[in-house]
Order: sequence, then structure tokens, then C-alpha cells
Amino acid sequence: MVESAQPPSLDALTIGRGAPLEELVDRAALGELVASFYELFRVPLRIFNAEGRILADASHPEPLYVYLDSLRRARRVLAEEISAVKSVDPGVGGDAIYPSVTGSAYRIVSIAYDGRQLGRMIFGPFLPLAIRELPETLLALDPDLDVGEVRILLAKMPRARQETVGQIANHLLRTLDLILFSGHKALLTSKMHLASIRESYRELEVKSQRLQEAYDRLKELDRLKSNFLATVSHELRTPLTSIIGYGEMLSEGIAGELTTDQADFVATIREKGEQLLGLIKGLLDLSKLESGTMRVSRELVDMATVIADVQLTLAPTARKKGVTFEATVPAGRYFVWGDGERLRQVFLNLAENAIKFTPAAGTVTVSASDGTLDAGDGDDSGHVLFTGVRPAVEVRVTDTGIGIPESERLRVFDTFYQIDSSSTREQGGTGLGLSIVKKLVEGHAGRIWIEGNDPSGAVFAVLLPTQQGRAG
Amino acid sequence: MGSRGPVGPDQGGEEVQGEGFADIVPEWCHRTITPGAGPWMSWVALASPSGGNEVQLDFSARELTIKLVYYGPALSGKTTNLQALHEAADAKTTGRLMTLETRDDRTLFFDLLPLAFRDPGGLAVRLKVFTVPGQVIHSSTRRLVVQGADGIAFIADSQMTEAQNSAASFMDLRENLKTHGITLKQMPLIIQFNKRDLPRVRSDEEIAKLAQQGREAVFLAVATEGKGVVESFLGLLHLTWMSLERAHCLREKFGFDYVRFMSQVAQSLGQQRTVREILATCVGGKIEPFVTEVGL
Repeated sequence: MVESAQPPSLDALTIGRGAPLEELVDRAALGELVASFYELFRVPLRIFNAEGRILADASHPEPLYVYLDSLRRARRVLAEEISAVKSVDPGVGGDAIYPSVTGSAYRIVSIAYDGRQLGRMIFGPFLPLAIRELPETLLALDPDLDVGEVRILLAKMPRARQETVGQIANHLLRTLDLILFSGHKALLTSKMHLASIRESYRELEVKSQRLQEAYDRLKELDRLKSNFLATVSHELRTPLTSIIGYGEMLSEGIAGELTTDQADFVATIREKGEQLLGLIKGLLDLSKLESGTMRVSRELVDMATVIADVQLTLAPTARKKGVTFEATVPAGRYFVWGDGERLRQVFLNLAENAIKFTPAAGTVTVSASDGTLDAGDGDDSGHVLFTGVRPAVEVRVTDTGIGIPESERLRVFDTFYQIDSSSTREQGGTGLGLSIVKKLVEGHAGRIWIEGNDPSGAVFAVLLPTQQGRAG
Repeated sequence: MGSRGPVGPDQGGEEVQGEGFADIVPEWCHRTITPGAGPWMSWVALASPSGGNEVQLDFSARELTIKLVYYGPALSGKTTNLQALHEAADAKTTGRLMTLETRDDRTLFFDLLPLAFRDPGGLAVRLKVFTVPGQVIHSSTRRLVVQGADGIAFIADSQMTEAQNSAASFMDLRENLKTHGITLKQMPLIIQFNKRDLPRVRSDEEIAKLAQQGREAVFLAVATEGKGVVESFLGLLHLTWMSLERAHCLREKFGFDYVRFMSQVAQSLGQQRTVREILATCVGGKIEPFVTEVGL
């Protein structure tokens, strides 16, 4: 059976059929080895694989055989002889002699490795030392034979003792065995390399498949959470709006005059109701932002208008707390392409926070200046390839409050995160505001970060891309 | 298809020889299979009793290849076992010990020792003995090497400090077999406590006591001195052969004489003792019942 062209597998190489001779030894090197033996001993030598294909040939046409080849009948007989020699099976590890009609001989030696026959080497034709006279079989080979010529040519044939050829064969076999062992080892090593890489890869694939499944499940859970949040917020808001509405009607005296105490109580109900509504709106905003369903309108917004509005809204709160609230944003200079209402929400939240955490006699300032935004996420590698820096406005909300420790500055933007999460904390809040602010800023392709304000306090800096030449 | 199970009608003519042997041979073994019945029979891989692994059985060449694997934690002496086995074996039986890719004398891929026997009945038995790399990081290589094993020798380091590593390696073996769909119970397995010559090792009595309670056959060894190496190997070969016999009825198909074969193996490994004496060095586990069954 002919070996398939496919390279032998790891199993075949270790416990199976093994590899064919030509896989274990380099053909060119085998040719060189055989040639060096021929040079040394002058005995023609050919190596065949298990299928009888020739792998190496070290021989020169012997003049006697060249001459006989020119005779019609002799040529036919010799051709038959050669094919007979080629089909001699010496058996695994065996050795056989085939006498030629010319009086010379062939020696066929098995090349075995690991108990299996991988091929054969054929020595010859060589003339055994014992042959002195012209053999009868040679003389009878062809009627046109020139005996004188044959006598001269026969004398030129390589001569060797059978024992010597046996020794040469033995020596070559031992050399070959070493080469085959090394070849087998090298082949196994490379197979093993490939196999273990493939096995490791398979292992990694299984693991990443599991991770992907876990990730998909978490994503689905996250989506469910957002949906749930949206539904619940909506369902909570509807009755709450009624509570606040009826509270308003009560305090307006529609259902009759209230006593001072009653008016106070109703005011508290309304105030807490508004607080609750704010929280629910926040939740709703967040879930909308997370699910990507927040509707944002786009128009040219003057930052001065936004900040002025914020200042107007928060002035009473600041005054009540004894905090100086200043805003210095030049009108008609910084225009942002975005949603005015959402931007107002951003700075309202930041300023409200600033006032909340600033003690009496402190100062909260909102200022704006020129800035630039990198096209690539704050990483300036490959800068030259990007569209370049975009003009931006940097709005800074600075307070003189308790400040935010450096380690907390990234985490305060996490949903529900509170620096002071103890139940006895001084300041209220849901931990939603800043995460909404961050998402809104990012929704406007901007950036937000926190700096310290020397000697105390925090600076919330917001960088928003501006539109040029659209003033007015 | 057709590579396993009965082929042809029950001939019923052949007598089962050897007292007690028939007990461990399933009924369908008492039928005959014509060697080399067709080209499809010439090179078959038969599923062995241990599930996923395969015995390489070549009907036309009347040749059987058995894969034995030496497993165990790093530096427990797997390669040393193979070296000692190689030294003990006569030149006719063993080929070169192939050591694949080592760094600082640590096995990276595996070692492979080929042993070959020809039973007078005509069946050629080729044993391929492998080691796995013991270091934890080579888990995927171990999984590859252990695939298709017909029997496993687990080489444990006797030192108290190595007990944890041995246990972890045994779990690793179990996991790796599991990925090939094989349980430890299905696999012919012996455990060798190596390095008995070192201080601070568990005592012989303690090991014997534990071994009596366990399932696996246990052998004691000092592989660096060649002690217990051949014993462990023959123990493993014995169990593996029993398992193969049960699955493939080698005796029926090839007229294989197990007792003669084991004696031949023992002799070529330089043993003067009988196989029964050698197997009796086992300190526990279930090797005895088989010994009496086959009348060794």
C-alpha cells in the first residue's frame, strides 16, 4: 500500500506505522552519504524506500554492462534481471544475495527501524573475488558477443569479497540507524510542538467561549436592569405627580383655608415629594442614557446663557447658605452644538453640588476659557493622523468646600457612588447626579474631570467642543 | 464497523485451556476470527474497555502495539524509571530511549522507550512506554501524551513534603483522562512510591496499610538504583494485559500464551524470579485475584 501524501500523525509516529524513510532522512544528505561510501569502496550502491522508489544512487555505468546493453538479447536478459533484483525482499533486518548472469552479484540489505522495514539498499553489481574465468552464463548471453571485448571489460568490474560487502552494509546500516533515530526524534519534536500549541489554543478557545457566554449573559442582565429601572421610575412618577399636585392645591387653599401648622405640614409633603420626584427623574435619565434612548436635541447653545440661567436658579440657595456664587462667562463667545436643557442640567448639578459642599462664607465660581479637545481619547499617539485638535470651551466650577481626595476623583462618577456612604452623612443625595452629568457631557463629545482647589475645595472642569464662526 | 465483536458463526470446536482463565474471558471470545480476513481488517484500531483509548491491533501482521504511560508530579522519577528499564532490558528487546526536548534535565514533551517481543504463537507485541512532563505548566502536553494510553503507572515521590504534589498530579491525571472520556476506574493503573531511600518518607507499613484499603496495585521503588522498577512495570503490564484480554480475546484470536509471554518479558528484563514472585512484591491493591486466575 502506498503511504498517503499526508504527513504522519503523532500517533503514527509513536505507536503506529511510523514514518516512511524519506520523511526521516534528508534525501540530498542520503545521496551524499551513499556517494561517500561508493568513493571509499567502489561498490555501486542504491537505496530504495519501502515502495521500491529509488532515494539515492551511487554508481557509474560499468563498461561491461554498457557493452552488453548494446546487444539486443543481452539487454533483454539484463533488464529482467534488474527488475528481479529490485523485487527481492530480504525480510525485516535481513540480507540476500542475487547472482547475475555476468558472474557478478547483487546484495540486497533491509533497512529496518523500530522493527519495521523502511527500505532496502542494493549493492552491486560487483564481481566476487573468486570469479577468475569468464562465466558460462555470460558467454551464452548473446550470440553476437565479442569474447575478447568482454574479457577486457569484465576485468574492469569492481571486485569485492561478499564478507567485505557485508561489512560495508553493516557499517552503513549503523550510520543510517543513527540518522533515522535523529530524524525520528526531530520529526516527533516538531509534531509535538505543533500538537501542544494546537492543544493550548483549543483550551484557550474553550475558555474564551465561556467568557463570551458569561459576558453576553451579563449584558442581557444589564439591559433588563435598565428596562426595569425605566419602568419603575415611570410608574413611581405618575402617582407622585398627583401627590405633589394635590399638595399644591391644598396649600393654595382650594379646599379651604389651612391653619399655619397644616400649611407647614403640606409644605413639607410638597418639598419631600419634589425631592423624590428629582430622584426618580434622575433614575429615569440614567436608564435612558444607559439604554441609549435619551432624546437629545441639537442646536447652537451659548454657554453664557446656560450659565446665567444656572446662576439665576441657584442664587437663592447660595444666598440662604451664605455662599458667594459668581459666574464669569462672556456672552456670545462660546457656542456648543448640543441640547441647551441638558447642558443646563449639567452645570446646575455641578454648581448645586459645589454650593452644597461649600460652608458659609465660601465662594463658588463658574468660569469659562479657551480649550482644546484631542480627537483621540486623550491619548496623543498618532496625533498627526487625526483631524487635529478641536476648539473647545473649558468651563470650571470651582468651590472652596471640603474637596475630593485624589483617590476618589474617578469613582465619584460611578452610579450610586457616595464618598461618604455612612448612614449618618451630613449631605443628602442619591449618587446619581454626577454619573448622569458625566454621561451627558460625553454625549456632547466632551470630557469631565476633577482637580483640587488650593488650599481647599474642588474644581469640576468640563471641556466641550465649540462651533466657530456661528456666533450670533 | 465490524472491527469489534464476533465475526462468523460460533465454531465451538476450540477448547479453552488453562484452569480459571475462561472466567475472565467474555463469552463471545470463544469464537474465531480469521486473521487478515479482508483489507478492512488489516489495520484496525479497536476501542478498548477503557472507552476512548485505542489498542493498535494489526491483524494481517499479527502485531499488537500497547501504549503505557508513566504519569506523576515533577521530579518524581518517571524518566529515571524509563532509564532503569532501558538498562535492565536486553539489546534484542529494547530500542533506543528517546528523550524529547529537555531543558536542565527536565522533560518538556516526553520520553519514549520502545520494547518489542514476539510470542512463539506468532503475535508480535510492541510496547511503547512514555513519560509525561511533570511540571504543572505542561498540562496540555500531558493531555496529548496520555491520550490513547492502555495502562498508566503513576510515579509518586515518597517524601512527606511531596505528598501534596502527588495528590495534585493524580487529580490532574483524572481531569486529563476525563477530557478523553475515560474514568480512572476504567484505566489499568499501578502506583509506584519512588525514592524509598530518602529520609522523611512515609513508612512501608503505613503505605502498605493504605494500599490494602485502596483499589490500585502499589509498588515501592528506588528508581535511581533500579529497585522496584521492573516489578512496577510488570505489574502495569499484567493489569493492562488483563484488561486487553477481556476486551479483545487475544488468546482466542492469536493463540496467545499469556503466562509464557510474561515470563519472556521478565527474562528479557533480567529477572531470574518467576512472574508470580515478582508480582507478589506489590504491597496492596487488586493484583492478587488476577494472578490466581491465570494460574501464574
